[in-house]
Amino acid sequence: MAETFDIAIVGAGITGCAIARQLARFDLSICVVEAANDIALGASKANGGLVHAGYDPAPGTVKAQVNARGCELYGTWSQELGFLFCRTGSMVLGFNDEDRTHLEQLRRNGHVNGVPELSIVGPDRIHELEPRASADATCALWCPSTGLVDPFEVAIAALENAVANGVTFMRSAPVEAIEVAGSGDDARFTLATPVGNVRCRYLINAAGNGAADISHMAGAEKFHMVWRQGNIVLLDKEPRTLMPLYPVPTPVSKGVIVTGTVHGNTVITATAAVREAGDTQTYASDVNALLTGARKLVPDLDTRRVVRAFAGGRPVIQGTNDFFIGQSAVVPGLFQAAGIQSPGVASAPAIAERMEYVIRKAGVALRERADWDPIRRAPDDFDRTPLARKEELIESDPAWGQIVCRCETVPEAEIVAAIRRRPGAVSVEGVKRRCRAGMGRCQSGFCQSRVAAILARELGCDPSEVLLEHTGSWLVEGPLKGVR
Amino acid sequence: MAEFKSSVIDTDAVEAVPTQAFDVVVIGGGPAGMAAALAAHKADARVAIVEREQHLGGILRQCIHPGFGLSHFKQELTGPEYAQRFIDQVHATDIALFLDSMVIGIDSGESTEDAAVHSVTLMSPTGMLQLTGRAVVLAMGCRERTRSEIKIPGSRPAGVFTAGLAQRYINIENLKPGSRAVILGSGDIGLIMARRCTLEGISVEGVYELMPYANGLRRNVKNCLDDFGIPLHLSTTVTRVIGHDRVEAVEVSQVDEHLAPIPGTERVVPCDTLLLSVGLIPENELSVAAGVELDPRTRGAVVDQSLQTGVPGIFACGNVLHVHDLADNVTTESERAGAAAAAYALGCGAGADADAAGPGCELTVSPAGIAGYALPGRITTVGLTKLNFRVRRPVDTARVRILAGDKELFAGKVRPFKPSVMESFPLPAKVIQRALDLGVSEIVLSVDPVEEA
Repeated sequence: MAETFDIAIVGAGITGCAIARQLARFDLSICVVEAANDIALGASKANGGLVHAGYDPAPGTVKAQVNARGCELYGTWSQELGFLFCRTGSMVLGFNDEDRTHLEQLRRNGHVNGVPELSIVGPDRIHELEPRASADATCALWCPSTGLVDPFEVAIAALENAVANGVTFMRSAPVEAIEVAGSGDDARFTLATPVGNVRCRYLINAAGNGAADISHMAGAEKFHMVWRQGNIVLLDKEPRTLMPLYPVPTPVSKGVIVTGTVHGNTVITATAAVREAGDTQTYASDVNALLTGARKLVPDLDTRRVVRAFAGGRPVIQGTNDFFIGQSAVVPGLFQAAGIQSPGVASAPAIAERMEYVIRKAGVALRERADWDPIRRAPDDFDRTPLARKEELIESDPAWGQIVCRCETVPEAEIVAAIRRRPGAVSVEGVKRRCRAGMGRCQSGFCQSRVAAILARELGCDPSEVLLEHTGSWLVEGPLKGVR
Repeated sequence: MAEFKSSVIDTDAVEAVPTQAFDVVVIGGGPAGMAAALAAHKADARVAIVEREQHLGGILRQCIHPGFGLSHFKQELTGPEYAQRFIDQVHATDIALFLDSMVIGIDSGESTEDAAVHSVTLMSPTGMLQLTGRAVVLAMGCRERTRSEIKIPGSRPAGVFTAGLAQRYINIENLKPGSRAVILGSGDIGLIMARRCTLEGISVEGVYELMPYANGLRRNVKNCLDDFGIPLHLSTTVTRVIGHDRVEAVEVSQVDEHLAPIPGTERVVPCDTLLLSVGLIPENELSVAAGVELDPRTRGAVVDQSLQTGVPGIFACGNVLHVHDLADNVTTESERAGAAAAAYALGCGAGADADAAGPGCELTVSPAGIAGYALPGRITTVGLTKLNFRVRRPVDTARVRILAGDKELFAGKVRPFKPSVMESFPLPAKVIQRALDLGVSEIVLSVDPVEEA
């Protein structure tokens, strides 16, 4: 008989991981159940990494309530969890009087939503804040609280901290059916997965694009997900990191945004087109629209330096543009964190905080554990490490001096650490998300075979079993010739 | 806004790193680095080679096909054999080798009484080290263009490899990257890999080429495709990658004269592997960090006739300077760079030049017509100067012309030109002098198609 958890969280995207981390401080047994073989493989992965400030959502919506708060919380979350966060500030660029009217509206929204220090600025100040911003911009909404993160690093850091505090992580466990017993039952929910059943008293649905399916399986609210697909382009590193620059938003999206990343690259994000669920293909038309849109904001952007183009689907609930966070009205004990589209990354810490509140209000006893540790010790990031520490590391283990990924300066020891951490990387892409090996301009042309060999060694598997990403994404068939 | 650069170099800490002094520090131990080091050593310089792999030889180690050495050794060798000849020569000298060592920075030269001294910071499993030298030779080679740079749409499954990565899996790791391959790009690496895959039992469905002509050397089209019955589809490119986890197929389309895919010509080719041979890019991140100016056409350094970059004492050669057609030509060029670097280091700078110690001048060289680039980009000495260039498209009849303002200083004979060939052209001293006499600051190397009479 499987263990019964107090709480099961379905989905190890940034939302599920943030909730797990928030609840890990309490005396509860928690299990995070993830369909894929790693953290943040859905919408959280295909994301521009912007921590939007919160002037965009219409006042009164759930988004409006969690966005600005989430942005605020990133300060403490990044310190406790040791992930990169840069509060760079941002500008929404306006090019005419009509745009200025929109900017005024955004500023008022922001004020109501609790976004601090918003102001409308003119061309001189625009140029001062970001010299590369288009000289055609006549006005801008200057928002100092906007920030940047690496979205998968946030999710990974949150879940590492949760796991260090006793949370169980089940990967490769897509929920295929949910059995719901009477409300008084100790194990009210039984989740059937290919790797075994998970029983729990309370269930949190943070399944991203799978949230509608989970809700239906549990007999709770019926809703449908719309796959609002976005293409994103990552450009090579620049000598100076660009401040996030937004166009005036459209009714369905924030438009094509240009921003620096925490690693000094430039990202152009994102298109918005409703496509078939699961479609993560890039499209030539979308990529061209991104490059054209970006040049309007930053005319001197060298859009030939594309490192990668990628795409994902925002989990949008059909018929609403809002988040759905709360206890199910149909199935008590089931808590929904559904429709977490944009600004899901920015809101994640506040969604977690709100989920704690919702659960407490529903009568779940939340007793803080004495031994809870909010601090996650981040792995050494060799490239960012001061020289003296680099020498110390190499002295402690020569594998720190063995550079595997030359574009991002990632030594073997950092790759090994990415695999051995809990939860660790199980694929080449998982290694890349944790320590950036293969993230650079050569896109793993030089290091893929070396990373694959380290994975095979660390996981004790054959080279033919090493995966690029999901099950089935084999890299090589096997040996060519027998050794004579 | 705040800058948050990724590489932190703490200058105080650098001073604590052990230092070794040389005359010439060569970065890269491939064919370019070895030839430069040997030439510098022959000129009596104290030389170091820094190589990030455990072995010398660079990419030649995985180029197990023949075709190397025909001009340099008058003998056909495989890549590893060609490399081994230089490795043996290096080992027979006292050239200092720093293997398994990654250069993390080159400073642009600390001024001293006579000439600047460069310091190269490197790290290896044994720790950090600093090498100093009056001259540095950049010989880091190039990398392959990726799928993203040519913006192939579609999904992102396993099974999309640059040709060089697939070559490494097959020739070094003894691993089979797939069973059915499509190759995009008819550059030499793509052609060589078409044959290699076939020999290893990987079925090659076809080689697809965006341009209306093959991009590799003619001998490779014949030896690697024709002899094995592998089809070459010109004016055709991959327009979509299909498959969620592993490549299941690619969609190919014909392209029009502007290289844009023609709607309605899409065809799905089932395969599990897509190899890309879509160009090489000089790896100049270190050079840029050291203050070296790049030519946007070659993506390598702007150099003068002695292959010195704009930073005094820093020289460049081989594929980090411009992408070569043959390793033999890399060797020849790099010997020049090494000799010039040694002359600079031993003569303590100013004006010391290996072979052409003529009077000084300042001329820039620009390409025109169908010439894609011209190298060197600067001429600072009046003397016989070797010019290199490539044409952007094949022509049966064209000629090289050297222009200064509206004057034609030289016109070569009419002959065919191919983009796959790196052309070499000796510019006589008297032509340079004529340009100077005309009072121009720029000469133009123009390759112009000629209508046949």
